[in-house]
Amino acid sequence: MKNKIMKIIAIAEVGLALMGATLLLAQRSKMIQIKGSDTMINLVQILAEEYMAKNPQSPIAVLGGGSGTGISALINNTCDIADTSRDIREKEFNLAWEKGVKPRLFAIAVDGLSIIVNSKNPLTKLTMGQVGAIYRGEVKNWKAVGGPDMQISLYGRQSNSGTYVFLQEHVLNNKNYSPDMKEMNGNAQIIEGVRADEASIGYVGVGYVIDKATGKPGTGLKILNISKDEKSQEFSPLDKQAVDTGKYPIARALYQATNGKPRPDVAAFIRWEIGPEGQKIVEREGFYTIGAAYVEKNEKNFK
Amino acid sequence: MNQTTQKKATLLVALTVAASLGLRAQATTPPPQTFTTTIYFDYSLNATNSGYLTGTDAAKALNNKFAFRRAYFTYENKINDYLKFRFRLDADNTANITSIDFAKSSTKKDDKLRPYMKHLYLDWAGMLPNSSLKIGMVETQAFKAAEDRWGYRSVAKTILDGYKDITGVDTRTSSADIGVNLTGSVNKYLRYGAMVMNGEGYSHPELNKYKKFGGYLQLIPVAGLNVWGYAETEKLSDSASARMYKVDVYFDMIPKLNVSGEWFTYDSDSFFNKVTQPDLSTVNKHYNVGGFSIFGTYKIIIDKLNVFARFDSYTPDSTNDNKNLGLVIVGFDWAPIHSSWKIQPNVWLYSYKDPVKKGDIVANLTFFLSF
Repeated sequence: MKNKIMKIIAIAEVGLALMGATLLLAQRSKMIQIKGSDTMINLVQILAEEYMAKNPQSPIAVLGGGSGTGISALINNTCDIADTSRDIREKEFNLAWEKGVKPRLFAIAVDGLSIIVNSKNPLTKLTMGQVGAIYRGEVKNWKAVGGPDMQISLYGRQSNSGTYVFLQEHVLNNKNYSPDMKEMNGNAQIIEGVRADEASIGYVGVGYVIDKATGKPGTGLKILNISKDEKSQEFSPLDKQAVDTGKYPIARALYQATNGKPRPDVAAFIRWEIGPEGQKIVEREGFYTIGAAYVEKNEKNFK
Repeated sequence: MNQTTQKKATLLVALTVAASLGLRAQATTPPPQTFTTTIYFDYSLNATNSGYLTGTDAAKALNNKFAFRRAYFTYENKINDYLKFRFRLDADNTANITSIDFAKSSTKKDDKLRPYMKHLYLDWAGMLPNSSLKIGMVETQAFKAAEDRWGYRSVAKTILDGYKDITGVDTRTSSADIGVNLTGSVNKYLRYGAMVMNGEGYSHPELNKYKKFGGYLQLIPVAGLNVWGYAETEKLSDSASARMYKVDVYFDMIPKLNVSGEWFTYDSDSFFNKVTQPDLSTVNKHYNVGGFSIFGTYKIIIDKLNVFARFDSYTPDSTNDNKNLGLVIVGFDWAPIHSSWKIQPNVWLYSYKDPVKKGDIVANLTFFLSF
């Protein structure tokens, strides 16, 4: 009996020592944990690196996984900031409420969601309705929308992606994507797929389609102009004014969400991102700076 | 090259091409199917040898052991954004069947982990806004909320399920059953659920024409405070029925801390004791089964280290206080490398109302694997 109790005590001591070491390590590195949108990951990683270079006392870790993953992590208290390229859904707000989490959204950039095709495709524009019909699988041949006689090859994201959800809600009228769509892991994989496939169509954040050296769409890609309907004028996601004014119909804000009022170190980082230095990086990375309306909303959420 | 070699070479090339195509498809188009496995196993040590549980001869013989307690194999297929399919096999080590080896004309004791079907259902999210309709062998509402909330099934079952083996009282509750299960949310303040099921659980086919009906309402008046009320009824025969009522309270208002309470009472027309009267005649005295459980978790380091604790008070017979028992569980949940591998050292302290029965202490080093 005595031996057994000694054994338990010995096992408990080893366990507690190991846990103590883990605790010490964790306390030494009080990182700001960011998880979420794959569209935002490159941008936020660069923002974080430049911020850390100036504020070495504030380490930041940035992980992707998709907007859905980030929002889940925020609800489960496993991150400090969730990157999301879409609004938080009602179902997610309800779950957050259940778990005592009150999400606050901060817009840090604006994206003109870009519909891309292979550069050999002669088509130059589509309506929102046509994009929706193509991705629902109702239109299967480019000929039906004024293109060449060729079966359409669909490239998209997985369902945990904010871009997948944004397009589904705003363009597909909440209907299912075609089961023929190739579900890619990220924007870069969609671009590679579209570049290699003449019959392809894909959707990506505008920051991914512009070659930073030339300021033009990357080799092998063409960005389509989009109109609300057949009677409306079409716009390009590269037209900042059209994106800002909402004339480009599939523009969206890129958000960072926190649980309630952000704690001081998190607030300082977000303030820097939406300040002049951060917004300069946003533009450099091919996205658009936030307008006055978002600035005002952000300010309210800091209080 | 002879014909056989040619055939083999062709087959090899075909398999290589098929495999590479498969790999390519996987790399670019991850299938909506997922396979996951979760395993719990313990190293258990009975720290006492004198209690109700640990004092038995069998427990003394097995007072120091490694044991697999559960292995789940789950296949899920997301057909589209509104339709999912799930198939889960479960295996536990309670199988203790004496099987007959016909080839050798002998009998042998068989304690192998034996898989059985736990879930087999379609989940349709499109019937009502923010709802889920599951059809098939589905998780029951009576269990799911508290089990999800407790979160340490690897360490212990919840109060509704945890005492059947010790007390021998079967409240006909099961974590899965064949039926139809509808859950949903009306708004952020209100959730609902309704379920129709066989009532036999996942272990048995339907044995009568009667069905079990259950339902719940969950109120969340303020963020992080949940009050969950559940009721179910089941007709057992033409003249007998059973009812269960359950109330859970979940508190999530302090960051990193969650605290929950679970209370239930089960009332079956078939539960009665024969009581001898002073005149030596006997009468049937009806009894209920009930109990409450309070449990909580504190996240010391997010994704790395949690501490959890629980207290159960179980009443297997409302007419006999001596049968009451209590259980305290305290433990750590530690993910030293990755969340797919956890070590959960925990201690169970049983106490019994019956003065003849001594308390029990069981120490477990539980391993949780998920991949």
